[in-house]
Amino acid sequence: MSTADGGRKGRSMRKKLIGRRDFIKSTLAGFGGLFFLPSIDKKQEMKIAEAKGKERKFVYRTLGKTGLKIPAINMGVMLTDNPNLIREALDSGVLLLDTAHAYMGGRNEEVIGGVIKGRPRESYFIGSKVNLPQDRTTGLYMEGATTEEFLKKLDLSLKRLGVDYVDILYQHGITRKESVAFEPVLKAFDKAKKDGKIRFTGISTHGNEPEVIHAATDSKAYDVILTAYNFKQKHYGEVRNAIAKASQAGIGIVGMKAIRGGYQQPPTVRNITASLKWILQDPNVHTIVPGFTTFEQMEIDLSVMEDLTLTEPEKIELQKEASIRGSYCQGCRQCLGQCLEGLPIPDLMRAYMYTYDYRNLPLAQDLVLTLNVPSRVCEDCGQCPVKCSIGFDVSRKIRDVARLREVPTEFIG
Amino acid sequence: MMKKRYLANGLLFVYLISGLASPLWASNSDRKTFTFPEVTGWRQSGEIQTFLPKTLFEYINGGADLYLTYDFQELKVVEYSNEKKASVTIEVYRHRTSIHAFGIYSQERLSDANFVNIGTQGYIEENVLNFMAGPYYVKISGINTGPEDREILLTFAKKVAENLGEKGTLPSILSSFPEEGKKKNSEKFINKNFLGYSFLHSAFNADYSLSGKEFKLFVIEPADKTECKNMIQKYAEQTGKTEKNVTEGRYLIPDPHHGEIELHWQGAHLWGTVGLNDPDLRSRYLKLFEEGLQKRK
Repeated sequence: MSTADGGRKGRSMRKKLIGRRDFIKSTLAGFGGLFFLPSIDKKQEMKIAEAKGKERKFVYRTLGKTGLKIPAINMGVMLTDNPNLIREALDSGVLLLDTAHAYMGGRNEEVIGGVIKGRPRESYFIGSKVNLPQDRTTGLYMEGATTEEFLKKLDLSLKRLGVDYVDILYQHGITRKESVAFEPVLKAFDKAKKDGKIRFTGISTHGNEPEVIHAATDSKAYDVILTAYNFKQKHYGEVRNAIAKASQAGIGIVGMKAIRGGYQQPPTVRNITASLKWILQDPNVHTIVPGFTTFEQMEIDLSVMEDLTLTEPEKIELQKEASIRGSYCQGCRQCLGQCLEGLPIPDLMRAYMYTYDYRNLPLAQDLVLTLNVPSRVCEDCGQCPVKCSIGFDVSRKIRDVARLREVPTEFIG
Repeated sequence: MMKKRYLANGLLFVYLISGLASPLWASNSDRKTFTFPEVTGWRQSGEIQTFLPKTLFEYINGGADLYLTYDFQELKVVEYSNEKKASVTIEVYRHRTSIHAFGIYSQERLSDANFVNIGTQGYIEENVLNFMAGPYYVKISGINTGPEDREILLTFAKKVAENLGEKGTLPSILSSFPEEGKKKNSEKFINKNFLGYSFLHSAFNADYSLSGKEFKLFVIEPADKTECKNMIQKYAEQTGKTEKNVTEGRYLIPDPHHGEIELHWQGAHLWGTVGLNDPDLRSRYLKLFEEGLQKRK
C-alpha cells in the first residue's frame, strides 16, 4: 500500500487537502442552509398514468444527453425475483428496470427476461451492469479484467434478458478514478455500441463517489452515472457538486441508495417518503431506482411523485436524523494518501468498529494482524497529517486498536 | 471452560475500552474456526479479508442487500495464485442458519446448472463453482485457469468443504413438495416479503410444469396458530374481503397481482398454489402436499 501511494504522496497530499477544504465548505454550507435545496421547479413535466383503473401522477425528467424521458422514480430489481411485482411496476408506469449481470447469480436478469417477453421493446428501458475482477483493497482492476471478458458477460446478460440490446450498460461498482478510464472497458463499450448491443454507456459507484463522478465527467466516455446519494452521506455536498458538474456536461444521473441498503441493513431511514423527496429535490438527479420488494413499498415509493415538496415536519425529521453522528468509517477514502506511513486507515477503522461496536475481538484481531502495520504505529509522526472527513481522531483510534496485536490469539478465542 | 473464555474476553474488552465496560456479545462463541486450505502448487496471494453485515457492501456492492435479507453474518475471502499466473478466489459466506444459507444459495442457483456432489449441494460453471454446506455458502471463482479450470475448482472446493467440516442437508421440508411435475432444483427459500407481501414473511416454494401448465407450490411455517390466522386475514383484506372467523381449512384468495391463490391451513403449516387456475388440479396438489407434510412428521 505504501509503495503504491509513495511516489505521488506529495502531490496527492496537496490535492487531498484542497479536496478537504472544499469538503468542509460544502458540508458547512449544507448544514447552514443547503441541506435542503430551494424548491424544485414546479414546471416539471408530469403525466398521469392509468393502471388497473387507478390514476397515478408521474414526474418525468430527461436522462441527460440520452434524451430518454423517464419517471423520476423507477425500479431497482436486485432484491426481488417476484415477476408479478416487476410486471405491476411496469404496468403502473415505471419505465426503467435496473439490474446487473451479477445479481442473484444471473437469475435477476432471467426473471426480468420472463416479464418483458412479449412486451414491445420500446415500452421499457433496461439498465444492467457488468463487473470485472477488482482488487478489493485498492479498487483497481486486476489481471483477467479484459475487453473479451466484459463482452462475454454482456452477451450472457442479453441472453438471460432475452433482448438484443440493453439501453444502459454500466461498468459496475467503481471506486477509483483509474478504473473510470480503464482501456479494456472503454474498448468493450465502443464495440458493444457499434454492434448495437448497448445504447448508452454508464458507470456505477457506491464508494468514493465524487472522485469517480468527476473522473467520469472528465473522461467524456459516459452517458449515464449511477451513484449512491442520500442525506445520510457525510459527503453528500461533494456528491451533489460532482453530480451538478456531470449533469451540466449532459450526463444522465441515476440515484441509488436513497433509502435502503448502504452500510446498514434496510430500511436505513425512518421516513422513506421524505428521503426519496430529499434526493429528488436535486434537479440534477434525473431518476432514482429504489429496490422495493412488496406491492405496498411500490405504492409508497411511486406515490412520492404526487408531490415532491418536502413538508416542514419532514424537513425537521430529516435534519434530526442527519445530525446523528455516525460511528462508522464512511469509506470515503479521503484519508488514503494523507498518512506518511501509507497505513490502510479504512481497514484499521473497520477493526476499531469490530472492537467497540461489534465487540467481536477475534474478528478485530484477525484483521489487525493481517494488515501488517509497523510496530510503533502512530507514535513517531508528531502531528498526524490525516484529516478524516467525519472528524475521527484517526491516530488515536489506530494506536488503540493496534494493541490487539499484543494479545495472545488463544486468549481472545 | 466456556465461562472462563467469556471471562477472559470480558477482561480484555475492559482493558481495551479503558473502563467503559458493558456486556460482551457472545454471538461468535459457538463459531467454528475455519481455515482456508493449502493446495499444492498454489499460494495465498494476499491477506484473508473479512466482511460483516455493515461492510459486505464494500465487497459486493448492491448485491449485498440480498445477502443481508438472508441473515448474512460474515464473509471471509482469500485469493490464491500459481506460477502460471492463474488465480482462484474463495469466498465463504456464513449465514445465521443452514436454511438462510440455502435461501441465498437457491436464489443464485440456476436450475439447469451442472450439479456436483460437494457439501450439501453444489454446481460448476465455467470459472465458477458454488456450493452450500450447513450455514455456509461458498463461491469459488478462477481466472486464467485454462483447460484445467474444472479440475482446479473441484480440488479447491473439496478441500474447503473438508475444512468446513459439515456437509449439512437440504431443509427437510423440501421433501414434502409433491414430486409430480416438479422442476428439478427449482426449490427456493424466500426469507422476506413472500409474494410481495410483508405479512407472509418467509416461504419455501418450487416450480412445476404439468401438461403445459406452469405454476408454483409454496409452504409457509408461521410461528403459531395466531400468526397463521393473521396471515389469512391480512391476505383476505388485500382483496377487500373480511375473514373474521378464520379456522383451519382451505381459502381461495382472488389476489389482484397473482391471480387465484388457494391456501390450505392445517396445524403449523400454510401451503398453497400460485398460477394454477384449474380447481381440480389445485385440489389434487394441495392434497398431495398435505400427504407430504404428514409423512415428514
